[in-house]
Amino acid sequence: MAKLEAKNIVKYFDHDGQQLKALGGINLTVEQGDFICLVGPSGCGKSTFLRIIAGLQTPEEGQILLDNRPILNTGPDRILVFQEGALFPWLKVRDNVEFGLKIAGIPESERHEISQRYLDMMDLTKFANSYTYQLSTGMRQRVAIARALVMDPEVLLMDEPFAALDAQTRDTLLVEMQMIWQKTKKTIIFVTHSVSEATVLGNKVAVFTHRPSTIKKIVNIENKRPRLSEDETLIKYQQEILAELRPEVKSKGDEQ
Amino acid sequence: MKPNVLAKKIVFFVGIVLVWQIVDMANVWPDKIFPSPLEVGENLWYGASDGTLFYGIGTSLWRLAIGLAIAIAGGIILGVFMARVETVNQTIGSIALGLQSIPSVAWSPLAIVWFGLTDAGIIFVTIAGAIFSVTINTYTGVKNINPDYIAAAQNMGAKGGQLITKVLIPAAFPYMISGFKQGWAFAWRGVIGAELLFSFLGLGFLLNVGRQLSDVSQVIAMMLVIMIIGIVIDGLIFKKLEDKVMSRWGLR
Repeated sequence: MAKLEAKNIVKYFDHDGQQLKALGGINLTVEQGDFICLVGPSGCGKSTFLRIIAGLQTPEEGQILLDNRPILNTGPDRILVFQEGALFPWLKVRDNVEFGLKIAGIPESERHEISQRYLDMMDLTKFANSYTYQLSTGMRQRVAIARALVMDPEVLLMDEPFAALDAQTRDTLLVEMQMIWQKTKKTIIFVTHSVSEATVLGNKVAVFTHRPSTIKKIVNIENKRPRLSEDETLIKYQQEILAELRPEVKSKGDEQ
Repeated sequence: MKPNVLAKKIVFFVGIVLVWQIVDMANVWPDKIFPSPLEVGENLWYGASDGTLFYGIGTSLWRLAIGLAIAIAGGIILGVFMARVETVNQTIGSIALGLQSIPSVAWSPLAIVWFGLTDAGIIFVTIAGAIFSVTINTYTGVKNINPDYIAAAQNMGAKGGQLITKVLIPAAFPYMISGFKQGWAFAWRGVIGAELLFSFLGLGFLLNVGRQLSDVSQVIAMMLVIMIIGIVIDGLIFKKLEDKVMSRWGLR
């Protein structure tokens, strides 16, 4: 059974008073335990699509079904990891990680137990009492991931979380992300502009067209894990995806 | 404080007192309208020894504390609602800036009519002088919150009161502190100004008594006390609070 379904999602952008059709009817089925990466030309609305799944934006048409029930609002069953982390600078790392649990009214001792588990998993324990400005960008994204995982969401949504990281840090996190996925068996929808990142992480990669965007192809990647970005066996998938993307990027260039 | 900064300050203050003393000894103006530093010091000493000075300070500070507390609480509530509810912004928001531009002491006549010559009247003036600074800074702060903070919090289940207390207010706090600092300064002026007009206890009252008795040394003494309290409160409370928040956010 499908974990999450997007049915004919249409979304308009307001661009200088003009209505621009960004999402032109997206259909996508995500199975339980999928790690699906969304790639597409920049400005195609893949991040918007992710926010619609999170319930943070509403589409003009179409609906999202989670476990066959339409979603009406945002909520902790679909946690979004933001590109810049969106950590709260007024809270220590531990309190950031526990934020959602506190909102949910979970008692302090239980909160500590849960947060400690994920602080350990993300190798953050020695930073538990730091403020976020004291951390490197990579460490901040670890905190953001821990903050999402403590909520035990049905679907984990990630919006280019590694875009601002240096190459080495990104490589480490790419491996860790695969381990987290294998360990937690989460359903993950991951937006990225990097084709190589998508092939390393995803068991499926969905390719978006230029706007008004639709999904033009889904590539299945069954290679064993952990995969590394330099794996040669991934190259043919990257070529296949790039071949799909190239005309889309070009059509954007024509427009401008 | 670094030793050389401290030294500069000491030299500066000793210099002022010296110049003051020299001008006094030159006998340009009669002592009655230009007292010497010694006479001002004597006045403070008498006030301290019979307790009137401390009673005056206590009364003014008490009024300040109540008025400022209410102004801060009310200003935060108003500011948050102005930022989050468009109707509130279009109505109250449109006059908040205008209200802020009214000097606190200008509220005194209204306060006397409404509350009489009472503590409540003076506290009203204090609140009226301070609340709109807090409101406007809170509004600006909430408007400037990174929208991702709010989206992330809502995504994790925060709404209503929790969203306000756990996200909006802490996220807007660096701006709100400016409002507190401005609000406190206006509140202090409001207290002293109202006490002058109400002539009902406190430092402003003692200042007025000095004028009525043509005791210029008392007038200057009270002005010094008002200034010193200003420096102390700003340095001990608001500067500390600001430093703490700024360093926690990594802003300095």
